[in-house]
Amino acid sequence: MTSIKSDPTIPVLQLDQLSRRRAGRRAVHDLSLVLQRGQVLGLLGVNGAGKSTTLSMIAGALRPDSGGIKLNGADFLEQPELARQLIGWLPERAPLWPELTVSEHLEAHGHLRGLRGTALMQARAAIIERLELQPLTRRLAGVLSQGQRQRLGLACALLHRPALLVLDEPANALDPVQVAALRTLIRDQAAAGTAVILSTHLLAEVTAVCDRVAILHEGTLRHDGPVRSDDHAALERSFFEIAMNDRKAQAA
Amino acid sequence: MTILAVTQLELRRLFVRPLAWVLGALTLAELAWRFVLLLGSFLASQIKLAALPASPGYTDLVGVPLLSSMLTGGFLPFGLAELALIIVPLLTMSTIAGERSNSTLPLLFASGLPASRIVLGKYLAVLVWLLLWLALTLAMPLSLAHATHLDWGKLAAAVLGMALMLAALAAVGIACSTFASHPAIAAAASMMLVLALWIVNLGAQIAGIDNGVINWLALSTHLETLLRGLVASSDLLWFVLLIGLALALAIRRLASERERN
Repeated sequence: MTSIKSDPTIPVLQLDQLSRRRAGRRAVHDLSLVLQRGQVLGLLGVNGAGKSTTLSMIAGALRPDSGGIKLNGADFLEQPELARQLIGWLPERAPLWPELTVSEHLEAHGHLRGLRGTALMQARAAIIERLELQPLTRRLAGVLSQGQRQRLGLACALLHRPALLVLDEPANALDPVQVAALRTLIRDQAAAGTAVILSTHLLAEVTAVCDRVAILHEGTLRHDGPVRSDDHAALERSFFEIAMNDRKAQAA
Repeated sequence: MTILAVTQLELRRLFVRPLAWVLGALTLAELAWRFVLLLGSFLASQIKLAALPASPGYTDLVGVPLLSSMLTGGFLPFGLAELALIIVPLLTMSTIAGERSNSTLPLLFASGLPASRIVLGKYLAVLVWLLLWLALTLAMPLSLAHATHLDWGKLAAAVLGMALMLAALAAVGIACSTFASHPAIAAAASMMLVLALWIVNLGAQIAGIDNGVINWLALSTHLETLLRGLVASSDLLWFVLLIGLALALAIRRLASERERN
């Protein structure tokens, strides 16, 4: 079993000059970031900016070509098993096994994350209640609506109480009530000390829940700074400047 | 143990899908039919056999032929070994290729599981199903064990051969599943491969060539020895090598997929 340091002064996540090529193009280039406990980082960018690639690398589903990732101070690339306890990941489209029920999904994820017996039962009951999945527990994942699938994916990501929650466009397919509930959930997780990294292309999402915002464009980090919930316009300006200036430069 | 977590997940997926149940029910029904035919033929030839000095018994004429038609000739109805050439590729096709087409494979990677544990966990699950299948098939001849004389040694050797064959086919099936983008392609590739392994020496034999190397390559050569009741370490080694090679290829492919994606 890998020992996991829980020193609050050590950043939960540290990216050091992370690079990755995909389909022959530079998807992420020289990305460095630090995320502390309880912080919510919004990862903004237009489609193809490299957000999902970055999150896949952080989640351990994809290895970087170069650079380093540290989780709680430990080298994640050397010890990929750290993901098991430290990371909860919800990809852009919640990947589910259509032939398993909601309850079976939670059990399978619990087992994969090392939860057993009473600990698993308690964690499953808590997350079912938190995400209001009670009426769906015996339903097959294959017949769930998009919003329900997303909630189940989120439940699987949160089940083992990870130190780092990686969410890729989590508000997709959720109705406004569910979006509000998701925002509350993210804030609650952060208040409990979980670091959250949230990819989105919705600026309102960032100003509503994030403490910090990082703007990715063409695989490189163009902006990293705090977010003020009352300054939506400033964030919008920065975002469009980065996105549009590049387009103008390319056109020229 | 994360391997067991993967095994548990795969077993659950296997048992909630109708495919495994349908395959199990149909093949066991077919094997029961074969058992009745073999038993009928054995009973009908009792007087003739009694006149022979070292006549074959219940194990030679019912127990072992139920497992494979290799020693008895006449393929239909199929024995367990012949059915396995079709069933195992169908069972293994979704193990990895299904995860890939479901987009759940990155989820397994993101659980911190190395490729070896994913492959071995899934392999164990398929093995559990196949051994259960073998056990249910064996229950047919064993149900008459109290009323006849079973050659336990010969039956044990045949069962060992069948278990090794099933384990080898499962390993090949899983390897094909790691290379294929879709379960159907995995099943087709696996069927072709195991059929080729089964009959690789047939062409040479028809041409009158009894080449040691070609015979050694064929799965049927090694299974036949065990079905005859002879346990040779060279045959066991052949199966172990095939299993090891197939699983190593599967692990390597999955690990490189994680790198490349």
